[in-house]
Amino acid sequence: MTVTDPAHATGKAIPLIQAVQAINWNRIQDDKDVEVWNRLVNNFWLPEKIPLSNDVQSWNTLTPAEQQLTMRVFTGLTLLDTIQGTVGAISLIPDAITSHEEAVYTNIAFMESVHAKSYSSIFSTLASTPEIDDAFRWSTENVNLQKKAQIVLDYYTGDDPLKRKVASTLLESFLFYSGFYLPMYWSSRAKLTNTADMIRLIIRDEAVHGYYIGYKFQKGLEGASDERRQEIKDYTFNLLFELYDNEVQYTQDLYDGVGLTEDVKKFLHYNANKALMNLGYEPMFPKDVTDVNPAILSALSPNADENHDFFSGSGSSYVIGKAETTEDEDWDF
Amino acid sequence: MDYHALNAMLNLYSADGKIQFDKDREAAKQYFLQHVNQNTVFFHNLKERLDYLVENEYYEQATIDLYDFSFIEKLNDLAYSKKFRFQTFLGAFKYYTSYTLKTFDGKRYLERFEDRVVMTALGLAQGDEKLAVDLVEEIIAGRFQPATPTFLNTAKAQRGELVSCFLLRIEDNMESISRGINSSLQLSKRGGGVALSLSNIREAGAPIKQIENQSSGIIPVMKLLEDSFSYANQLGARQGAGAVYLSAHHPDILRFLDTKRENADEKIRIKTLSLGVVVPDITFELAKKDEDMYLFSPYDVERVYGVPFGDISISDKYREMVDDSRIKKTKINAREFFQTIAEIQFESGYPYIVFEDTVNKANPIKGRINMSNLCSEILQVNTPTTFNEDLSYNEIGKDISCNLGSMNIALSMDSPDFGRTVETAIRGLSAVSDMSHITSVRSIEVGNDSSHAIGLGQMNLHGYLAREHVYYGSEEGIDFTNIYFYTVLFHALRASNTIAIERKQKFGGFEDSTYASGEFFDKYTDQAWVPSTPRGASLFADANVAIPTQDDWRALKASVMEHGLYNQNLQAVPPTGSISYINHSTSSIHPIASKIEIRKEGKLGRVYYPAPFMSNENLDYYQDAYEIGPEKIIDTYAAATQHVDQGLSLTLFFKDTATTRDINKAQIYAWRKGIKTIYYIRLRQLALEGTEVDGCVSCML
Repeated sequence: MTVTDPAHATGKAIPLIQAVQAINWNRIQDDKDVEVWNRLVNNFWLPEKIPLSNDVQSWNTLTPAEQQLTMRVFTGLTLLDTIQGTVGAISLIPDAITSHEEAVYTNIAFMESVHAKSYSSIFSTLASTPEIDDAFRWSTENVNLQKKAQIVLDYYTGDDPLKRKVASTLLESFLFYSGFYLPMYWSSRAKLTNTADMIRLIIRDEAVHGYYIGYKFQKGLEGASDERRQEIKDYTFNLLFELYDNEVQYTQDLYDGVGLTEDVKKFLHYNANKALMNLGYEPMFPKDVTDVNPAILSALSPNADENHDFFSGSGSSYVIGKAETTEDEDWDF
Repeated sequence: MDYHALNAMLNLYSADGKIQFDKDREAAKQYFLQHVNQNTVFFHNLKERLDYLVENEYYEQATIDLYDFSFIEKLNDLAYSKKFRFQTFLGAFKYYTSYTLKTFDGKRYLERFEDRVVMTALGLAQGDEKLAVDLVEEIIAGRFQPATPTFLNTAKAQRGELVSCFLLRIEDNMESISRGINSSLQLSKRGGGVALSLSNIREAGAPIKQIENQSSGIIPVMKLLEDSFSYANQLGARQGAGAVYLSAHHPDILRFLDTKRENADEKIRIKTLSLGVVVPDITFELAKKDEDMYLFSPYDVERVYGVPFGDISISDKYREMVDDSRIKKTKINAREFFQTIAEIQFESGYPYIVFEDTVNKANPIKGRINMSNLCSEILQVNTPTTFNEDLSYNEIGKDISCNLGSMNIALSMDSPDFGRTVETAIRGLSAVSDMSHITSVRSIEVGNDSSHAIGLGQMNLHGYLAREHVYYGSEEGIDFTNIYFYTVLFHALRASNTIAIERKQKFGGFEDSTYASGEFFDKYTDQAWVPSTPRGASLFADANVAIPTQDDWRALKASVMEHGLYNQNLQAVPPTGSISYINHSTSSIHPIASKIEIRKEGKLGRVYYPAPFMSNENLDYYQDAYEIGPEKIIDTYAAATQHVDQGLSLTLFFKDTATTRDINKAQIYAWRKGIKTIYYIRLRQLALEGTEVDGCVSCML
């Protein structure tokens, strides 16, 4: 892939932490760090957990055009997750306000790599090697996808910590969603439901990532001068516009063939607002252009509250539990 | 708007903060207008329809031939006169995607709900016109709903079996293991969940032909089974599904549990197979004293006692086996064992648990229960099968099959004749047993022919209680549950006794049961069972449902001791997924999992389902299972369990603040209260504040 080596591309190395201090989890400066850390640890999962092969039959009912669309959407997501895992989350580490924040970013970085790998699990389960290679080739040749990656990468390698966080939040809360739309759409049509389970796990993670980075952004903004605040705000909206224009073209490119573009755009608006909300800004798109298809919106819910039968896979629930030993009083019978 | 979008609006609050029930009704309506009506094959009249469907091999000729056409016409008119309507989008959607008869290309519908009901009734009644009428009355009114395989398949010419559920023993030899795999393939192909007991199989490292360290234990067998189940599916309709049970004191128990770990190696990871652990009382006693628990080599145990490991009561023989040097043993800490179970339940929801000694103490039938099934509600005795060297049968033992059907508690309480509702259900289920001959697995066929075991279930308890403004798990709610199941048991036994009298036939082994000795009836003749709360009493009085008296029981006891029972087993309360949507019930006797439930299935996608009788005015009574908490659920189940001869699928629900200790405490509580089995553990993790979807009903507390 052309964009995985940004340091090389820009000729500038990302500064990691200068002096290392042992992270003391017994001295917590910001409760949010612990809360998010615990949440991320509880949410830990690996793609092997999902019986993707149960989707093979369903995959075969998609038309070749639909299959190609799906492959491309997932390749696009793979690229974004690769960026976020290998560059994005790591680039935030030097700017961390608390030492625990650093730990959270390493967790985020790792999970992004898990996500990137999950798409490969989907590919290898559903498609043949030439199809996979074809999709990856497409990803390096698609102008809008490459542009999107380049924009974000530029900001990651820039020298303003707040701007990096903005770019990161927009990626986590906005850019992913043009891709997430499709598996949610399929699952509401009873297609690729196990794949959708996996995507829902990814969405569950990204929701927390976007929220946390946005929160840290707002923390970083506290105490900034009005001038600086205005600068960052202008910057945020400019970047969002730039990404949005590109995203609209990317969406048209992908979804025109199946006639879903209008609905995906509403979904983009909805998530752009969500990203702004995470950053503490007012929404940009009015309500009447954010009325996403309820079937998609309802499918997004990151809660582990769905009910399923054992003939249909494991669902996107279940978490790693907190172990606690029983005491004598518990066994008092 | 399309019906999927309308249905999804059920999960989004309206601008004024109300749940949009009307959108779901609109979704159901649009589903018929936009989809069903346009895709249903039209026939001018019933005669034309039946002729076409029989000629083209959609319906079984034999079923139609049992009746005069004029009777079928009358039955058809009766069904249509009831003006059945689906209450929810999911009900209609589920029925048309999964149950109704379709053209062979799968594109057009050949039946409406009424037609399926009539065909089910005709098929099950086997020529008995009165029974056919009764079945149509009960099913179309929603009081009785046969389980999926029965309702789906009856009277279709191209079909799977009518039975839901199979349980197989595996013995400690290669012939039995390979027969088990073969049987799993055969039974999955015919549609049904299969559970297998692995307790008898020797552990990893056990000797083969006296040479030490030879056996690979149970994990490779589980792998083979898992792959078999994913290979065999019913005409592509759904994947096969299976469960395996293992004794807590089997040496491979920790390896067995670790197959469900999140980070398990791919070679040993089990994804789709369900797990269950059989736990005797002694394990609890050991944990109480914080002692180690010994695990015993099944290979040695079988050599010492001459019976398979699974047929031994570990609680009785524990000390003896510990002191017997011929039996190889290892040990683990008992409390740590329970904690490991809880950890894995967090990660995967498994294993199920069977409280072995509770189950066997409550078992009226001679023999030993050592496993359960895919939904942990079937509890019956079994015996081993032995094979000759050429793999043919030497002695065919008894394996278990069970066909199920559930009553809708709310609608049954509204029944003009509660006793007749139960009796019709028992007759319908017995017919399924009579009609089932699984020749490909002889031990199942032999077991069924002798036992006629059935499992009458119940559903919509929470819906009923909420309709009557009684809180789930309240004193009144538990009081009702107790007396309801008490009353059902009476009528179920009466019906089975009536069939035995009519046919002059008892189930095999009746003479050795506590029904024959009369002992079973002591707890009903020696004490009066009456409601303990005024509300409990008024629920029955207002509905005109008579509560059986001690004298009623004395008469029944005499008749049973004289004439016997037709069915070895009568009740089992399944989790009721699909059928409760069609029937518009809450599942089983659980509380609702959510006010608006999200249902995901391979064939449906993600669909939203409102609890029955719920409106924006009575939401208070629809607390969900996570709010209600495990204790009240266990109390409710305990009240029901004492009147159910088999088991009840009991899922426990925890918030994400729970730890493994909370799960262990609930398990201890359940065991103390006389619960027989625990099904899934479910955890609800709410979205982190700030990351939730706005205005989503299922996301709110």
